[in-house]
Amino acid sequence: MNKAARSLLFLACLVLGGFPAAAGQEAAQGSLGFPFQDYRLRNGLRVILSEDTRLPLVTVAVAYGAGTLREKPGQEGLAYLLENLMFQGSENVSPLQHVGFIQKVGGELNATTTFDKTLFYETLPSNYLALALWLESDRMKSLAITPAAIERTRAELIQEHQERLASDPYLESFAQFDMLLFPDFVYGHPLIATGLEMMSLTEADVLAFHSTYYVPNNAVLCIVGNIDSAGTRELVAKYFDSIPPGIDIPSPPRPVFNRENDAVARFVGIPAAGAGFHMGFRLYPLQAGDVYILRILEYLLLEGETSRLRNRLLRRDLTARHLSGALDERLSVAALKFFCLNNNAVMVGRSQKAILSEIDKLRANLISQDELNRAKRRFEMDHLNRLSTRLGRALFLVDAAFNGRGLEELGGELNKYLRVSPPALHYFVNKYFIPQNRVVLELGPK
Amino acid sequence: MKPAAPARRPPGPAAGFLLAAALAVLLPALPAGAQERFRRTPPLPDAQPLELKLPEVESVLLPNGLSVSTARRPGAPLVTLQLVIRAGEADSPPELPGLAAITARMIGKGTKLLSADYLENMIESMGAEYSVTVLMDYTVLTMHVLEEFLDNAIYAMRLIVCEAAFTERELGAVRRTAFWELLERKKNPETLGWRQLLRILFENHPYQTATYAEEVIKFITVKDVAAFYGRFYRPGNAAVLVSGNIDGAAMAKKIGVHFNAWVGQPVERPAAPPPSPNSRERICYVEAPGVSDATIFAGNVIMDSFDPDFFPFLVLKQVLGGTTRSRLFMNLRESKGYAYYAFSETEFFRFCGVYWVRARVRPEFLVPAAREIAREIGVMSAEPAVPAEIEEAKSFLIGNLPTRFESLEGFADWMARYVALGLDEAHWDRGPERFKLVNVERVQETARKYLMARPLIVVVGRPEWLGLALREFDAIEVYDTSGGLKHILRKGEGQ
Repeated sequence: MNKAARSLLFLACLVLGGFPAAAGQEAAQGSLGFPFQDYRLRNGLRVILSEDTRLPLVTVAVAYGAGTLREKPGQEGLAYLLENLMFQGSENVSPLQHVGFIQKVGGELNATTTFDKTLFYETLPSNYLALALWLESDRMKSLAITPAAIERTRAELIQEHQERLASDPYLESFAQFDMLLFPDFVYGHPLIATGLEMMSLTEADVLAFHSTYYVPNNAVLCIVGNIDSAGTRELVAKYFDSIPPGIDIPSPPRPVFNRENDAVARFVGIPAAGAGFHMGFRLYPLQAGDVYILRILEYLLLEGETSRLRNRLLRRDLTARHLSGALDERLSVAALKFFCLNNNAVMVGRSQKAILSEIDKLRANLISQDELNRAKRRFEMDHLNRLSTRLGRALFLVDAAFNGRGLEELGGELNKYLRVSPPALHYFVNKYFIPQNRVVLELGPK
Repeated sequence: MKPAAPARRPPGPAAGFLLAAALAVLLPALPAGAQERFRRTPPLPDAQPLELKLPEVESVLLPNGLSVSTARRPGAPLVTLQLVIRAGEADSPPELPGLAAITARMIGKGTKLLSADYLENMIESMGAEYSVTVLMDYTVLTMHVLEEFLDNAIYAMRLIVCEAAFTERELGAVRRTAFWELLERKKNPETLGWRQLLRILFENHPYQTATYAEEVIKFITVKDVAAFYGRFYRPGNAAVLVSGNIDGAAMAKKIGVHFNAWVGQPVERPAAPPPSPNSRERICYVEAPGVSDATIFAGNVIMDSFDPDFFPFLVLKQVLGGTTRSRLFMNLRESKGYAYYAFSETEFFRFCGVYWVRARVRPEFLVPAAREIAREIGVMSAEPAVPAEIEEAKSFLIGNLPTRFESLEGFADWMARYVALGLDEAHWDRGPERFKLVNVERVQETARKYLMARPLIVVVGRPEWLGLALREFDAIEVYDTSGGLKHILRKGEGQ
């Protein structure tokens, strides 16, 4: 080995954190209630394994850091298009054969693209684990992107989305609201707006996006189920170790929200009779621990019939006929969002006032421990329930990996939510739930 | 917070390039364009047998006739508590369809001493999720709760069920909610098609009671609810189910303590023999203005869950239209381009079952799609399936079975059905063994028995598409979205 080669090897070992495969966290358990292993292959692929032998099933999830945040202006819809192209065949798998292989053995599969990642997952009989790894590694290594596949997939996606828009008069307003709430292209543009924005994407755009982001060093492979860890590590190495890494991926930019004014009210025409609105509070920049308080606040306001807002709008005041909401986390920024449907514009106004009045109460007074405990218990139920399935557990581990949280800390994660106190919640609401962070989008008929 | 990336990466823009260059040296070298041999073909499965073992269900009968069934599921500290009433939609009187559902929704809306608000607060303060499911033959009240609150949940379940009281105020609210939900469901062509199929297949049968529209809800009174409750909500007609990390024997005792005062009274539920299957060409058209595509349902009455043909029929159904690899999808969507999707389904009630095909088709292909669906059903009974198709269908059914009860909710539904209908172990966790016994001959024998009769066809579409259908079929029964017959069109007659 000459000097240059030795230098290169040394450099590679520095980059990869050791050679051979970096030793990861071994059989950690903590208070999560289940074991897992977390390690990386030489090409940077992060691998998380978790054994669960209760049923003869295994879930394989592969997530790429290829969400909408990686799209540039003019490239809207690219992440979604790539997600679908991943089913159009690879070197050894024909178009849509991936679906066929999984269904043939009774498995179930799906894919989804979010703000920060595109995720593919399948649950199938555990003795077919190698099949899932073969399929996932083949499309990671050698996805077949052809002009014909791009055209066909794009046309299908646009048609499907146009149909969804036609059948759901409120759908488009969700995308519009996100753009108002996160007035920064990277953080606010939707997965798909009308669909027609995909028309301008070129083959070069698709190939560049794929070669940059669909690479092992930008991915997490998580396997949960009836597996033997040692044998699974061998299989993972066999199928994924020789896939070359891609270039280094820069961290996404920090958001720049270029609007500092008070609540924004807009009006979009909806064909359906009736009225409604979106309301959201943008929270930026989030501090460590904020997300725990925010999640409990979401439960306090929206989960269960006796939660503050559902009780007030749907049971007490009867000003709304539908109320839902969600916590939307986008790296360093988050938002608590409400979506309300009413019978007329008067009720829209009353419902908005009612929401703000409930938030004012939280701002003015400490919440009772009883009410807070109710929200926490409901959250604990959902959290534990999510972890009770292989898929839920896999998605939880993948999310944690993408959020930059050390998996070794996950055991204490639940307790962080359960430790949220009335004073902490009171301080949080006063800090973030202010008019400057509020955005409203009112809906009404054309 | 940032996406996953290689650990300890040195700073600088060249790191990625260097990494790639380094790995080109380190990773196993292959000739350009070559790939490892193992990538060329899918790997064989492990020899490991797919053993499915669900926890045993232990049942005891309390002196008042209430049965208690428990299943130990270690793992998460969550418990599911269910109360099954062996009365469902089909038990509503014919003149009061929807009564079973409204009565079930009224459980938890007050006792003689406690208000609905108080009870809801009591349940939600535990963090519990409470839900009501009303099916054709039985009703299930479910609470998922943290293990530490199980005793409170049992107490709450006993209160809301055994001491239920009904007020006009709460009934009004329940009726309003149900009305809007039913009205909303009418926007879904699949709901319209499915409901119309059942309505026609079960003409003059108690199961037809389940096919009501929103307008009937307003006629239900407090007196009706109290009467239905008094008749069916009795311990001898009920079962308490507990699953989770529990001790079955201790749990049964605890349930006994809480529910022993529930007064028993014999409950009579007359048997309802299944109706004869549809046997003639019959086309029903549900006019649904505003739908974007036509929806076709085609189906018929079949055997119940206890019948020896049950497992062969599931294999048959899978071959016909179980997945996107099955005959219907491959033919109607992939080959002919008529449909967005086409699948086959089954549902089994206490006295019989139903199979149906559902397809969403382009309006211009409404007629050929309906013809093709009927043809595919006919082929199943006329010609034996290819052995490979049968094996693939069995492989799917065996492999997919565990996914149905993996979740808390899935397991609870599975157990409730098992207990409510009094099913045997083949319907618990011995299904794979039954599927393995099914062969080409059994499937064809079953197909001949159940698919020879012509399926009833229901189309949901815009009124203006009716003309397309009229050219092909001799007679078409036209219905509104509430299921009311508007008129019958015959070939040659104008609309």
